[in-house]
Amino acid sequence: MKGRLQLSAAIVAAAAAFTVAACGGSDSGGGGGATKAATDATANLSDKPMTLTFLWFEWPPAQALEELGKEYTKTRPNVTVKVNTVPNPQWHDAIFTQFAARKTNFDMPILDSQNIGEAVTNGSILDLTDFVKKNVDTSQYDPYFLAAYGQYPQNTTGEANPDAKTYGLPLLGDTWAMIYRKDLMGDTPPATWEDMIAAAKKCQQDNPGMSGLAFHQAGTGDAAAVTYNVVNALYGGELWNQDDRKIEGVINNDAGKKAMHVLVDEMVPLTPKGSSNWFIDEVNAAISQGKVCVGFQWVAAMGGLLDPKSSELGKTKEEILDKLAFAALPPQETDKVPLGGMGLHVSKYIPEEKQAEALNFIKWFQTPEAQKKWAELGGVPARNDVLQSPEFLEAQPYNHVFTESVPRLKDFWNLPEYAKLLNVHSTEVNAAISGTEKPDEALDKLASEEQAILDESGH
Amino acid sequence: MADTLQTPRTAPPHVDELEAPPAAKRFSFLTDRWLAALFITPALALLVFLSIWPLIRLIWLSFTDYSVTRDVPASFIGLDNYIDVLTSPIVHKRALTTLIFVVGAILLQTLIGFAIAFLISRRVKGRGALTTLFLIPMMLSPVVVGLFWKFMLDVQFGVVNSFLDSLGLGRVEWLTQQRLALFSLIVVDTWQWTPFIMLIALAGLTAVPKYLYEAAEIDRASEWFKFRRITFPLVWPLLLIAIMFRAIEAFRLFDLVYILTGGGPGGTTETLSYNVYKVAFFGFDTGRASAYGILMVIVVIIAAQFYLRYLNRLQER
Repeated sequence: MKGRLQLSAAIVAAAAAFTVAACGGSDSGGGGGATKAATDATANLSDKPMTLTFLWFEWPPAQALEELGKEYTKTRPNVTVKVNTVPNPQWHDAIFTQFAARKTNFDMPILDSQNIGEAVTNGSILDLTDFVKKNVDTSQYDPYFLAAYGQYPQNTTGEANPDAKTYGLPLLGDTWAMIYRKDLMGDTPPATWEDMIAAAKKCQQDNPGMSGLAFHQAGTGDAAAVTYNVVNALYGGELWNQDDRKIEGVINNDAGKKAMHVLVDEMVPLTPKGSSNWFIDEVNAAISQGKVCVGFQWVAAMGGLLDPKSSELGKTKEEILDKLAFAALPPQETDKVPLGGMGLHVSKYIPEEKQAEALNFIKWFQTPEAQKKWAELGGVPARNDVLQSPEFLEAQPYNHVFTESVPRLKDFWNLPEYAKLLNVHSTEVNAAISGTEKPDEALDKLASEEQAILDESGH
Repeated sequence: MADTLQTPRTAPPHVDELEAPPAAKRFSFLTDRWLAALFITPALALLVFLSIWPLIRLIWLSFTDYSVTRDVPASFIGLDNYIDVLTSPIVHKRALTTLIFVVGAILLQTLIGFAIAFLISRRVKGRGALTTLFLIPMMLSPVVVGLFWKFMLDVQFGVVNSFLDSLGLGRVEWLTQQRLALFSLIVVDTWQWTPFIMLIALAGLTAVPKYLYEAAEIDRASEWFKFRRITFPLVWPLLLIAIMFRAIEAFRLFDLVYILTGGGPGGTTETLSYNVYKVAFFGFDTGRASAYGILMVIVVIIAAQFYLRYLNRLQER
């Protein structure tokens, strides 16, 4: 028996060790310290057949991007564009575990704006500063877009920074939109956030079986985190003080606490029962099935709302549009709205000919023609001229929301510790929303745990 | 009469000197010892490269601040990672969640699994078909199981709540209410893994000698007496081995949590394995995750030690 015990112990130990060892790896590898600067490699494009592979998460814009890739193939017939997708909660892991291995099966990772810090600090994506200066007309972009989707350290002033290092360019602009039942609430959107809550409450009372609100509440990904950040920003709160790197005492100040109370005590009671694990798909489903009066959703994820096949609001798009209206988020103490969307980047761990092709794709993608086609396919472009163009504004009935929201955008952290901070943020906000912790207690815990992460990082 | 009593010859008859066949001669250097080593080497090499070396590396990393994504060499930090993990209030909470899950799931699975096995063992017809039917959940991938239970238990769109609603019982927040979410995890794990316990128990039940029951019947023993004094004591050691396997599996539960609850609501269904995953991949604290993993293995080994000793004593009795 002793021998058997030792054997089973050894097997258990070896199996567990092997599992956890998957997290380990070589510290030598081809990493290199600094991020390699991209030169104008597009002059030496290869004529060999090749596939340009992107990695994103599964949602409608990913399919739209693959469609757009066919347009690129018309200009570069030897290149096929493929967009690989993973479920949203695995998106960060799927990209960064490959960065960790110093070998990627994608050429162009699509990173959330907040993930740039981690990728740049680890030296996993190309420095595009020289390439962008030489090939892209950045005056066509809102400086905030360039900063959020491509620069690190991020310039948060909203002014153009000529000295900033660029590691990516905007692929998809995005923000939250308010979707409301105009057939039940009237055509005019609520003027303030508080008015919106009151209107949703009245709609719920007037329409038995319906709930007032639907929004992202899940503790996974950035669902609950963004929801709190939206309310916090609207009530004048801040996530942190960038100058002295303070989170504690900033996020849980009076404005932050007020925002948490509004979220937990006023908004959550208006949501459908059991919706504390909802994210993009569930909110869309609730709106499409006519279960809620007001919903909040990322503009880029709203395509399905107008599909009669998945909607109970009408048999045609027109019938659905008779019931749904779209507006920018109503202001409260401030008019800030969340910046979503992602940037285009180039993996450092791919052959030079692939890097050259990836840079050429970026160059092509930033042309007004490609951007208009992108808008037509359901993407949200970032060039000012395209955002104001009738092609974009008329492509979808909710596109005007993004154009109106651009001057109001506010991004959150893009620190290398983002993934850890986000984990705490989402978990604690979800704890408050689901009632497992009291709002103030959750917010204080969130502040102290995030401060500890920031302090430990030493950046 | 022939003289058959001959004196045996002292010298053996002359034969040509024995020679090994050509092939054998060529490999004469291959002694049994060498051959054994040769056959073991591939398996040993696999073991070294896939298990021993990663284990050694893991142990080394657990004493460093290494992060797999950062281009910074590992620095030795002594026992800091172990102290961090052992003193973390979050780890304590996750350990408690894991303990509740393991105890709840194993208890439920043992009771139901044994009950089903007992009932099947008393049935003569269709025993094979029934056993196969009961084994189906065990053959499914946990991710698939998690996904379809997630859809079934959803408050708004799930079939379970639609059914409850139609009975006028109201909708239940199976996956979003603190205590119910953990209970739901236990139920789903029980649905999938009860057949394992059932299978082992069934093997034990069919192995109980019939003559013991016959002797008991002669003595007019009741059904309860036969169960208490014959069936259960003979099946119990086998059941304990099944429980140990299931407990080790349940201790490292990850997939169901990942799919069904994502650790929510508010992290209350996060198990130790799910937490290790977060430490390892959210921010890539490789050193700390290594220490965390090693501590989990140590816990399993110690628990298994005590358990096996008890099992050993039971068998000696």
